[in-house]
Amino acid sequence: MDYFIQQFLTSLGYGSTLAVLAAGYTMTFGIIGLVNFAHGEVLMVGAFAAYFVIQIAMLPFWAGVLAAVAGSVIIALLIERVAFKPVRGVGMITLFITSLGASTVIKNLTVLVFNDRLKPFPSPKFLEGSYQIGNIFIYKKIAFIVLITILICILLVLLVKKTKIGIAMRSISYNINIAQTLGINTEMVIIIVFMISATLAGISGIFWGILFGSVQASMGAIPVVYAFIASILGGVGNVLGAIIGGYIIAVGSSLLVAYLPVDLVGLKPLFAWVIFFSILIIKPSGLFKANIK
Amino acid sequence: MSSHKGLNKPIKYLIGIVIIIAILFLVNKFLHGFWLMLVLMFGINIILAISLTITNSWVGFFSIGHGGIMLAGAYAAAFFTVPPSLKRDILDLHLPSFMLNAQIGFVPALLIGGIFGTIFAVFLVLPAIRLRGFYFCTGTLGFNIIMATIAENLPNITNGAMGLREFPQYSNVWWVWGIAIALIYISLKLKKSYIGRAFIAIGKDQDLAEHMGINLLKYKIMAFGISSFFTAIGGVLWVHLILNLFPNAFGLILVFEVVTMIVIGGMGSITGAVIGAGIITFFAEVLSPFEEGFYFLGIEVPSLLGLTTVLTGVLLISVLIFKREGIMGERELSIEGIKKFFRSKKTKNNAV
Repeated sequence: MDYFIQQFLTSLGYGSTLAVLAAGYTMTFGIIGLVNFAHGEVLMVGAFAAYFVIQIAMLPFWAGVLAAVAGSVIIALLIERVAFKPVRGVGMITLFITSLGASTVIKNLTVLVFNDRLKPFPSPKFLEGSYQIGNIFIYKKIAFIVLITILICILLVLLVKKTKIGIAMRSISYNINIAQTLGINTEMVIIIVFMISATLAGISGIFWGILFGSVQASMGAIPVVYAFIASILGGVGNVLGAIIGGYIIAVGSSLLVAYLPVDLVGLKPLFAWVIFFSILIIKPSGLFKANIK
Repeated sequence: MSSHKGLNKPIKYLIGIVIIIAILFLVNKFLHGFWLMLVLMFGINIILAISLTITNSWVGFFSIGHGGIMLAGAYAAAFFTVPPSLKRDILDLHLPSFMLNAQIGFVPALLIGGIFGTIFAVFLVLPAIRLRGFYFCTGTLGFNIIMATIAENLPNITNGAMGLREFPQYSNVWWVWGIAIALIYISLKLKKSYIGRAFIAIGKDQDLAEHMGINLLKYKIMAFGISSFFTAIGGVLWVHLILNLFPNAFGLILVFEVVTMIVIGGMGSITGAVIGAGIITFFAEVLSPFEEGFYFLGIEVPSLLGLTTVLTGVLLISVLIFKREGIMGERELSIEGIKKFFRSKKTKNNAV
């Protein structure tokens, strides 16, 4: 039982990384139906910005967080302007291909300039060490990450439910043309959604750095697919659903690997795909209600 | 009708075949090294691009999982063509004995690879057939990742991440271009046949096609079958040219390149797929020295790994933004078309 609880608590760290990423992903997915493959590269750029500020420029941790958010927002707006805006409304598949193209270009450009080796990401002093309860260790960094995720979750739900911009987002996700007719500045709302989603990706990049102690140019490739699956799992556009979906994927695959024989540990990626196909066949609308919620 | 005026059909075909054989003979005789590789990769890319055209452009089911199909076909053929000494004695693979002791020729290897790839692809289609649009895309991406993961985690059967080697060098100009030209001919015929038009009808409007009496399930499986058969054959040709096989050999980057070929050539056009394959192959092979780094006039050019992919991505996005229909659109290059093009130009000139 201790083993189970320990595995569960440890996997919450990666779960939070995926959950925050998926929350941002599901917002752009819900509002303009964008399957954004380049979202993983937004996470990567955020983590790299923090790496440069903390490790190379030797600035404190909070400056790294600011740099990560700024870097992610800039790259996300750049991608939106260059790759998505010109082809918006042409068709889902075209958007999908351009996002795949944008993702490939950014990732390989980063590999080209900084190579693909692991780069050390220093986590701040106050996150080192762990608490011990009986035989179970609770790492400070994971506790910190989970607390921040809960805070982000509350803020996002309040934003979507209570604020004017949240109401505008919901109306656009129902029908963009009617929202425009009613005098909502849709262009502006879309930009704001992209900025929120990029901020979340940047924070997720910081989580990744704290958790694994390193960043890499190709780090975004796998989380972005999991974020997509998590947003399908939680219902497209449902922020809370996406966060729960992210936790389900990370915790589920960790627990699966924890109980598999050692030879089959490499099969970890299959878990998310089993979830993906089952949810699409059994309940394509997701576990919770779709549309921005 | 032109066929009444000129030569009759069989003689035309005979002349065409003789010319093609003569060209291939010259290519085989005079090209080697870099240029031969370029020509061979061009041929394989044509096979991959046309196969992808059938599903992605005609039926409109955008698959990015063809890498997984190539992997299935290539491994299936590899189990039979890798020399028994390597399979049995060095790697100690746990295969059935008829596989372990066999080293078969290229024709059965191609057939085994193709059929095995087709079976796998049909398994891919049956669960994914309900998915539409980008759900299908992501599902096929999943197929790609699942195949690579399985190949990597069965060390007793596929030798895991270390991959297989010591392939016999079967692929040559005759095989690659013979299959490529056959596929071009078959797909051009297919496009005009009932089956091909059914595919395109499904791609234009699935529901309307169903109302017209087209059996969606049957034609989708048929399209995937044809496409994956040739894709798997492309995979088999590829490994017998490169002479090694790793689980991540046909990952997303390769699929992405093939997608770029059909997008810049024009979605739905066979001629476009051939042109796109030519452009991307030339691009990739010419830039390959830059990826590894080289000395030029005593100056060291550093290794720029991933340069080709970056430029391919930029090309893809620019085509989608500025000229969405690609080079050919949905048209095909034909002799009548060229004649018409020049005739219209002539009349225009006369009018002026």
